[in-house]
Formats: sequence, structure tokens, C-alpha cells
Amino acid sequence: MSRRKEAIPAEESDQLTIKPLGAGQEVGRSCILLEFKGKKILLDMGIHPGLTGMDALPYIDTIEASEIDLLLISHFHLDHSGALPWFFAKTSFKGRCFMTHATKAVYRWLLSDYIKVSNISTEQNLYTEADLEASMLKIETLDFHEEKDVGGIRFRAYHAGHVLGAAMFMIEIAGVKILYTGDFSRQEDRHLCAAEIPAVRPDVLITESTYGTQIHEKREDRESRFTGMVHDIVTKGGRCLIPVFALGRAQELLLILDEYWGQHSELHDIPIYYASSLAKKCMSVYQTYVNAMNSRIQKQIAISNPFVFKHVSNLKGIDHFDDVGPCVIMASPGMMQSGLSRELFESWCTDPKNGVIIAGYCVEGTLAKHIQSEPDEIATMSGQRLPLKMRVANISFSAHTDYQQTSEFIRALQPRHVILVHGEANEMSRLKAALIREYETMPEVEITVYNPRNTTSVELTFRGEKAAKVMGSLAVHKPVEGEVLSGVLVKRNFNYHLLAPSDLATYTDIQVSQITQKLAVHYSGSVSTLHFLLLQLAGHVEKMDEVKSSFRVFDVIDLTVDKNMITVEWKGSPVNDMFADAVLVTILRAETLNEPSVKIDDYGAKFEWDKFKDSLVEMLRDMFGEAAVPKSVTKDDFYVTVDDKKAIIDFYNLKVTCEEDLTLQKILQTAVSRLYNSLAPISAIQM
Amino acid sequence: MCCFDESPHCYLLEIDDFTILLDCGWDELFSVNLVDSLKQNINKIDAVLISYPDLLHLGALPYAVGKLGLNCPIYGTVPVHKMGQMFMYDWYLSRYDSEEFAIFDLDDVDKVFDRMTVLKYNQTIALKGKGYGITITPVPAGHMIGGTIWKIVKDGEEDIVYAVDYNHKKERHLGCCELEKVTRPSLLITDAYNMLYQQPRRSARDESLVVSILATLRSQGNVLLAVDTAGRVLEISNLLDNIWHNKEAGLFAYNIVLMSKVAHNVNEFAKSSIEWMSDRMVKSVDDARNNPFQFRSVKLCHSFEDLKKIPSPKVVLASMPDLECGFARDLFVMWCGQPNNSVIFTQRTSPGTLARYLVDNLGRVLSLQLDVRSRAPLAGKELDEYLQTKKQKASETMEYEESSEDEDEISGPVGHDIMVMEEPRRQGKKPHFPVFPFHEEKVKVDEYGEVVKHEDFLIVDGVEEAEKDISDAQEEPEEDMEIEEIPTKCMSQSKILKLNCNILYIDFEGRSDGPSIERLVFQVKPRRLIIVRGSQEACEKLSAGCQAENIWMPQKGDHINATIERHIYQLLLKDSILKDLMFKKCRESEVAWVTGQVVYDTGSTDIEKSDVAEAKKNQPHLDLVDYNLIPSHKTAFLNDIKLSDFKQILGKNGIPSEFIGGTLRCCGGNISLQRLETGKVSIEGTLSEDYFKVRDLLYEQYAII
Repeated sequence: MSRRKEAIPAEESDQLTIKPLGAGQEVGRSCILLEFKGKKILLDMGIHPGLTGMDALPYIDTIEASEIDLLLISHFHLDHSGALPWFFAKTSFKGRCFMTHATKAVYRWLLSDYIKVSNISTEQNLYTEADLEASMLKIETLDFHEEKDVGGIRFRAYHAGHVLGAAMFMIEIAGVKILYTGDFSRQEDRHLCAAEIPAVRPDVLITESTYGTQIHEKREDRESRFTGMVHDIVTKGGRCLIPVFALGRAQELLLILDEYWGQHSELHDIPIYYASSLAKKCMSVYQTYVNAMNSRIQKQIAISNPFVFKHVSNLKGIDHFDDVGPCVIMASPGMMQSGLSRELFESWCTDPKNGVIIAGYCVEGTLAKHIQSEPDEIATMSGQRLPLKMRVANISFSAHTDYQQTSEFIRALQPRHVILVHGEANEMSRLKAALIREYETMPEVEITVYNPRNTTSVELTFRGEKAAKVMGSLAVHKPVEGEVLSGVLVKRNFNYHLLAPSDLATYTDIQVSQITQKLAVHYSGSVSTLHFLLLQLAGHVEKMDEVKSSFRVFDVIDLTVDKNMITVEWKGSPVNDMFADAVLVTILRAETLNEPSVKIDDYGAKFEWDKFKDSLVEMLRDMFGEAAVPKSVTKDDFYVTVDDKKAIIDFYNLKVTCEEDLTLQKILQTAVSRLYNSLAPISAIQM
Repeated sequence: MCCFDESPHCYLLEIDDFTILLDCGWDELFSVNLVDSLKQNINKIDAVLISYPDLLHLGALPYAVGKLGLNCPIYGTVPVHKMGQMFMYDWYLSRYDSEEFAIFDLDDVDKVFDRMTVLKYNQTIALKGKGYGITITPVPAGHMIGGTIWKIVKDGEEDIVYAVDYNHKKERHLGCCELEKVTRPSLLITDAYNMLYQQPRRSARDESLVVSILATLRSQGNVLLAVDTAGRVLEISNLLDNIWHNKEAGLFAYNIVLMSKVAHNVNEFAKSSIEWMSDRMVKSVDDARNNPFQFRSVKLCHSFEDLKKIPSPKVVLASMPDLECGFARDLFVMWCGQPNNSVIFTQRTSPGTLARYLVDNLGRVLSLQLDVRSRAPLAGKELDEYLQTKKQKASETMEYEESSEDEDEISGPVGHDIMVMEEPRRQGKKPHFPVFPFHEEKVKVDEYGEVVKHEDFLIVDGVEEAEKDISDAQEEPEEDMEIEEIPTKCMSQSKILKLNCNILYIDFEGRSDGPSIERLVFQVKPRRLIIVRGSQEACEKLSAGCQAENIWMPQKGDHINATIERHIYQLLLKDSILKDLMFKKCRESEVAWVTGQVVYDTGSTDIEKSDVAEAKKNQPHLDLVDYNLIPSHKTAFLNDIKLSDFKQILGKNGIPSEFIGGTLRCCGGNISLQRLETGKVSIEGTLSEDYFKVRDLLYEQYAII
């Protein structure tokens, strides 16, 4: 059985393999491999923010990059797109890569910034600006809801919330639908819409599990907590640091702060700085791709651009910053690994008047995560230890789904398989347990939840029914039980069509062709010699034209003898070519022979049943042993006994019957027919 | 369906009992006969598909929805929705500026666009209800932003492609149409409008535009470019903005203005619709963070007040292109007398329009009798009369007005998807004051509630007033414009204009021309073809060049039955039969010869829910068949080769070859190949090793089953 499995080519196999190469029981370096029907798809190509150099990459070395057909990038965050230039430049990947317009636009600047930052901290550089430029040429874009087809893989993007341009991908291969959510949020915020619930039900859902079973506080609550805390810190004369990722949530926070400042005139003296040239660069992207935002922004943007802030000023760098009094600074990176947010934190952390608000999700091992456990001391970049006295608050604005949203999402979609990625091991297993518990009481809903580790694959089997559409002259009447259908099966993008050859041109772009062949052979012998030999060969020669001496042999090969030349003409096909070869050999032979002495009309190949019987007996004895065929068999009573099973052979009709063993019958039937075909003269076999 | 003329696009397509209206265009003159047949069929229509945002493709929609009660889903792409609305606003406002216009109003326009379902390119939508089984997909068509070729598929097999006015060429701001990607549709509906026409090269065309603009400006003349509202204007304005920016062109010192009622909105939409434009535009945003519609030189104008502030000589891109109404007509009247001015037409409008008349008779028209129409405020006696009637009616309608005012406030902030829709509506209420959308009028409405009331009156009363006054036309000084509350009337005066200015036609239509249409239709290879819109000669030329099974060229109102008998059923393939098949690659498909036996079995392998299995029970399966029962079949060679391609293959295998009089000769002339007709190739030669080598190579090009 297992051997047979191997025999099935990958594209016919029913097995769907999902293998996280990154983001399996971890957050960061998202990269998931999908394999089905011989198609290989990668979802996202991120780097791990907590690791550096080659370590930050997903486990690409475990796969063959050249075999990947399609790469889909869900959104521009580094942990989803950060390794893309490397993947293009340093691997043999030659498939196609898609992302949304907005993602591509931001990706360009975000990664360019990342390259600069990496240069400063002299990390091992994965790729250069030139690699990034080159990748821009290879990335193709798609719009939300637009359907694309890459070699039979059909996919479309849905709004995912989260950040500008973030998409969920519904991928369909041979009727099996897989939804990859990327990072998503079902909560509409100031500028983004909530993640959509696709109208079609996926068979497999690959979803993020960043927040596991946690439940977010309400949007109003967290906003008022945030503004309240900022207000409190600055009015007490402190400095408020908000480490953020330059793009994405930062825009949302700026919209909130700008609005809050607008409502509170007493705060107007206190500056809000936004220390990111990157965000400034990307503002034009935010202004252009309004179609990817919610309707509120789309309405507003026609009057005045909400992304032109009244109370926020841009800060070019720490050199331009005059640290004199209370202020609010948003600075990247969001997890304070290094850079401006780290510098500011280190210079402010000793003053209890100051405060830091962690607004995004933090990966294990980063400073932002570390200070949430409220340590007394922290280590600076230079290795010095400083007491931590400033206020630390964690107000999550991270637009990831929480348990409530995930659970609703799954309930609405009802996938049969849920695969969790992009979440820390503990959160993930908690979410898995919670989901299983939720559906425990509903035996009618079949949901299996998986949480694979990196490079461990989940294997699912989809017994896809393969249906062919019968069209044209084959389909004139409805099929009847037992009817034998014969035609060309055309397979395209996992769709099958069964057509008569004559209908091919009508329904497909395939044309039926004909190749006529004409060979000229030198011949100086006599016509009658040739005629004789041809008779010997074919048993029957049709004389086409007495005068010109032209013959037709095997009903398909035309010969015309003309002076010292014979032209052989036929329509190409494997059988006809074989006949033609035989005829050619005959011609060459005829040239070396003298006139035959036999009267040619009498000669013709005949079929002798007795000879056939003897041959058959010999063959069957070879096949099944001496004892299988009794010595006394006659043509009218011919039977074989194999393993005590008796098979009767109806000699003249070449029919085998064996009621006990159908396999034996089939084997015998094949053997008998083939022997007959090889012994009988060609004229006796109907072609 | 109509053909053999240039009436706008508007066709009914019936698939079984589901009726789709393909486009709903109207000409610039509101020809009544066009909507008559629409009126008769209005209740039959189940869905409307719109291809482009201009009048030619959706002009009659407001009338159909507002006045005829068309009540079905309308489908269009996002830009068609946005720009289409701008087209309609501009058309209405331009008309309203010069005449009493009551064919439709702005509410009708809003109704249309509220009803529209917006789609993205390649987004397949399955129709519901009666249309179950039909899917529609918009495919890029070029020509105008959001331009669409519609693919309508019934039951996954019968595909109908509706492609008119597409452009196969890439342009500055738009990509090309993707008609080539469609292969062998069962029915193609296309137009032959441009069949007899061959375009000049793009560079030559651009150059002639620049040259004539430059010549006019240098002689201190003004240039009027008659453009549409929100379609082709994007291409022209983007081109000119770039040329202006180019220092070598020497145009930097002059002014260029884009003038229409909705110029600002059109520009804003263009800025935020970059993803619908060409790769070059997208790249400009992505790489240079430079929005190509953030104009550097082109200024936007919404009234003559604005225009006055801009010193001459200047270039004005003004709507409407037909010169029947709008700023373009007013400017034409103002400027056509001076010999140093130029008027440039960029597209052909419907026959009967002023612009078309001038384009068709280039250089032959020396003077012209024209109705100069305008809307002017009432004064003196008329004003008194008006005020009196108003006072009388004021009390009666008080209640109604209040309620309508409430409505207005509610619909203001939340009523629409796109906020800007509000503005033009207000413009409609103060029609004598061509509004500049930056103008914050909301405040005024709030402060002077009564202002609204007066004006609402105005529309009703204005009609009566104007009818009275239409005969004694007189010219009013413009300064009255300042007073907002003054009621207005329309005036018409017949004038004889001397045409001294230069009149040019430079094609910026952005449609495929004759040779390209022919090539495209040949490539697409439709099984059946319906040709619409084009002169008889053009239609016949197109039909001659196409090898479809059936070709129809319907007259207006003709009903074509393009039904074909469809033989189709589904068969489930058993694994046992698939396992042994040997697929061979052929083009983009794989093919195999299959022989099997039809079995109706109740496949117990189904693990799905019982009702699903029930439905599947009656499906025939194809299963393995007895060896003996397999009939032999003729070998089929699949694929079709071109000898020129084969020549290269021979070359790759070290066999030199050359074409002599249509036959490909190789091996010193011993072997020759000839392509007799589609799908027939002959190979001739003398008995030699080379012959078989070449034959093997030839066979490799085919899937032989």
C-alpha cells in the first residue's frame, strides 16, 4: 500500500501539508509553507525582531526555495516581510510574490529604514539597499478582493485591519480553501476597518494567536486610560515616552493624541514629538491609499487630511531635541531594543516624574517586555546598571485579535481545521485548549486545532472529488450505465474536461494537428518484385492506379513508383510510422532481389488457429507452470487452472471467463488478446 | 441592441430569463428615442453593468433610476463609481447653468450611485436569485480610469465577454486592457467604432499638441482644450503638467488651468486612486513618494471668478467636450473671435453636437449661429413679482420645508460613502454661484436657515419664470453675482459668431484603433461575435477579419438569439482511472486519452453529510473498463506549431534551416516543412537519417495521445 502511495505523483496526492518555518509557537519571523497537489506556497517572509543576522531568518534552509510557486505577504511589519529582499537575492526562488499596494509602498521605506538601523548597530547585514530595490521590481500587487490565479492556485485578499494594507489571504487549490489571517483585528479603529469575515467557508484556517486567551479592554476604556496617563504625567511636569513601531499603530496613537490635544487647550504648550523620519516619509502613502482605510477616513480626507497633525511636530533626531520640560515623545523602535526610544528611556528612567507607556506587543527578550515585570534596575546599552524609577504602564493598542474576536471569527467561518501560528508557546496552547473546550459540547461541529512547532508539519487529507465536465459531441445524450466513454481528458488548473478530439478546438485553445509525411526513396528494381514483397508484408495490397503503378498498403501508406524513385506518403502517427518503416525496409530489400518465381496473387499471409493454440498453450505454461494447462485441451474446450481456480477460454471469441477470480481473468484476458494481436496478420486485426 | 451608428452604448443581454443591461449611455443631446426602448424594457432589467464613467456609458442612469424607476443592482468598479458621479454632477451643473434642466436632478444622480455595487478588477461576484449560476468579473480595459471589460460566465462554462472602447496601449496614467488574456469566449460583444481609423503615434500626437499650444501662447493667445469631466482629462492634465514642468519645453511661464464644476474633487479622487493606474504611476508613489496628480503647474478653477485671477495667455482645460454646455462652451464663445486663440478638441462627441460639427468640418466653418445661454439673477420688476409669489407660498410650504431641512442635516454627515457627494448637491441649490468646493457653505446653511427655503423655492418657481422670460432675453451685468439670495432665470440669445481662432482636433480618446482591434479580436478567437456601434463599413470590415462561427451585426432594437445548444454534464473521475493516466503537457493544460465506463454508483466512500451524499448518488462516475472493451482510437496530435518557432528549435539542435517561399528547408534542402493550413503540417524529404531526426523534433512539439 505504501508503495502505491509513492507512485501517486505529488499533484494527484490528497495530502495538504502545512509547515511553519517561523512563527510556529513563537512570535516573529512569520513564514509558513503550504503544500498541496504539488503546489508550494509560502505565507509571509519575516525576520525575528529579537534575533540578529542569519539567526533572525525563518528556517528556509529546510526547503527548496526554487520549488516555491507563490509567496504572499500579509502586511509590511518586519516580522512578516523583513526577510523578503534576502529571499529574493540570496535564494533560488523564482516564483511570484504578491502583496497589496499599500503594503508594497510602506515596505519600501520601512525596510530601507531597517537597513540603515542595522548598519548603525553593525549587525550582520542580511541584504543591502540594492537588494531591496531589486525586490521592488519582483513584487506584484493585488487589490483587496481581486482574484488572482497563479498556475491553478487561486487567491484573493481580504481586509485584515491591523495596519494599513494588511490582508488575509484566501487560497484555493483544487477546491480546497485555506484562509491565512496574517495579523488581524476584528475591531474597527480610527483609521482602519475591522477584519472582514469572508463569505466563503475555508476548510483550513491558519490564524495568529498572539494574545491567546486574553481579552482586550474596550476601545473607549483603553483610550481614556492612555490619554489620562499621558495627561497625568505631563501636567506633573514629567516626560512621557511612548516607544512605538514607526508605522502602523503609531498613526493610530497620533490620531488619538492629536484629537485629545485639540480638545484640551491647557495642554497646547506641551509639545508632542514624533521622532521618526520614516513615518514622515510614509505619510504620502497614507494619503494615497485611502481606499484601504475605513469609510470614516475616506469621508474626512476630502475635507482635510486627518494625517496632517495640528499638535504633533516631527523630531529629526535626538540632536534636535531640547530636553527642557514636560513633553510627549513617540519614538521607535517599539520594543526599545536600541535606537532613539532606548536612548530616551535610559536618560529618563531614573526620574519618577517621567513615564513610559508600552502601547504595542512585546516579544520575549526585549527591554520593553523586561520592564513590564517591574524590575528595580535595568541594564543600559553600555552595560551600566540604572535604577528604574519612572512609571511604567502597559496599555495595549496592538491591533491583534483577542480571544473573544478569534472565537467569534472561528464560529462564523466554521473551518474544519484550525492551525495556530504567531503566538508564544504558552499562549498558543492555552488558546488551543480554550477552543477545544468551546466545541466540546458541540459534537456536531468538527473542529481540530493544531499548534505546530517550527519545521513540524501538519498533514491533512482532503479527498477531493475529481469531476470532469463532459462537453460537446460526447455529451449529446446523458450518460447511460455501462456505457464506454472515450475521449481526451484535458486538465487545466485542477479542472478536468472530457472532450472528443474534434471538439478540442471549440472548447479549448488546443488544436488537433495532422502531420503528413512524404519520403522519396531511390528504387531501381522492378515493380512486381516490390508488389510481391509488399504482399508478403501486409497480406493485402491495394492497387490504386494501374498505369502509374501506385499502391496502398495497410490502408494508410501510399506508394507511387516513378522512374527511379518511390514516394511514400502517409499521415503521421506512431502506428502509421511503424508501417511506413516496414514498407521502407521492404523497398530497400526489393531493390536487392531478383524477380520472384511464385505467382504473386496466391501469396498472402493466413492465420492458422492451430498454430495459435500451440503458442497459447506454450505461453500459458510459461506463465503458470506445466500443470496449469491440461494436455488434452482442444480449441473448443480450453481451460486453465491456476491455484485451483478454473478459467475458461472461449477460443474463437478470445474471451476469458473466471468467476472465482476476477484478477486472474483480467490477466488471462490481457495475455490472450496480446498474443493474438502479435500473431495474427495485420489485415486480420481491426485497427 | 444597436449597430451601424454612433448612438451610445446600451444593450440588453438575456441569459435564460435573467436580463443584464450592458451600459446605460446617453448622448449629449438627450435624444428621446434612445431612452424610449429603455423605457419599454425597464421592468425586465435585473442588473446593470457599467464599463466607463462617462456619459456615453452611464449618462442615462440618473434618468432611468430617478424617472423610470429602474430598481436593480448596478455594478461598476470603484473609479467608475467615483468618477461617474463627478461626470453626472458636472453634466447636470453645466446644463443647469445655462438652461432650465429637468430631465434628472442631483438627487437622481445620488440615487444611482448609492445603489451601485463597487467592485475591484478581477473580483468575481456571483449573482443571486434569478441570476443564480451567473458570475460577473470586471477586467481592466484601459481608456478611462476604472474602465472595464465585463466577463459574464454562466454555470462556469458559457462565457460572454463585453468589451467596448478598450485601449490596448499603455498610456501615461493607465495600463492597457487585458483582453488578450481572454481566450475563446463563447460570445464576444464588441464595437467597431474605431475600425476604419488609424491612430498617429503617441509621440507625434503629443508633439503636435505641444507645438500648437506653444505657438498660440507665444502669440499671446489663449488655448481652450475641450475635455471631459473625469475620464480622459486625467491623461491630458497629467501629460501637460509634466510638459510644463520640463524646463526645455519653455511653457513654465504660462498658466495652465483645469476648469470644471468638480475639478477639485476629480483631482482628489485621482490622487487616491493611484492603485487603479499604470505601474508607472504606482511606482512614482512608491519610490519617489510623489503623487503624479499632485499637480505642480496645473491650477484648478471652478468659476469664471477664479479664472479671471489667472493672467492670460493661458491654457484652459474645460468641460464639457461637446461644447453643448459647460465652461468650455462659454469660453468658446468668448475666445473664438480672436485669431490668436486656439480651440483644441481631444475627442469626438456624438453627431449633432457643436464640437462634432466643428471637428467634422475642420477649417470649413467660418461663422456660426449659436444660442448663447446663461443664467442670470432676476432684477427690477421680475424680482418684485418673484418676491410676491414667494411670500404667498412661504406660509403654505413651511412645514414641508422644515422637514426637508431636517433631512438635509441628517444626510450631511452620514448619508454617503463618500463625503464629497454632499458638496455638489449644495452647488445645485445655489446654481447661480458656481461654487468653489473649498468654500465652507455648511455654516451659511446653518446660520441662515431661510436661505435654504428661498432657494428650494427657486427651483420650482424658476421654471415658470424662465418660460415667461425666455423670449425677451437680455444681458445682465455679472456683478449681481455677489448677492446670494437673488433668484435667477435662464436666458438665451442667438448670436452669430465669427470663427477666427484656430480649431484643431488631436486624438486623445485612448481607444484602440482599427488594426489593433482586428488583431485583438483575431487573437481572442471568439466562437461567436456580436458587433455593435460603428459604421456599416466598419462593422463589416471587422466581421470579415474574424473567424467566429456566428457573427451578428444587430440594428437598433434588433433582437438576436445567440443561444446555442449546450451539451454538458458532469462526471466524477474515479481514482482508479486517474492513477493510470499519462498526462502530457500541451500549452497550459495537460492532456491524456481516457477510456472508461459510466457507472452510477452510490459511492460509499463519501464521508460527508448524508444530504450531500444523497445529491451525489445520482452522479455518474467514470470507472475502469475491461481491456477488451477499450476501442482503439485514432492518434491525435495536439497543439499547433508555427514554423518560425520550429526553425528556432531546429537551430537549437544544430540543424540550420531557412524559409524559401513559405516552406522551411533544412539539411541542404533535402527536407522541407510546410504549414498547409491551421493544424496541418507536411514534412517531405529523402530517406535519410536527418529526416527522422527532424521528424522526432517535430513530434516533440506535440502532445501525442
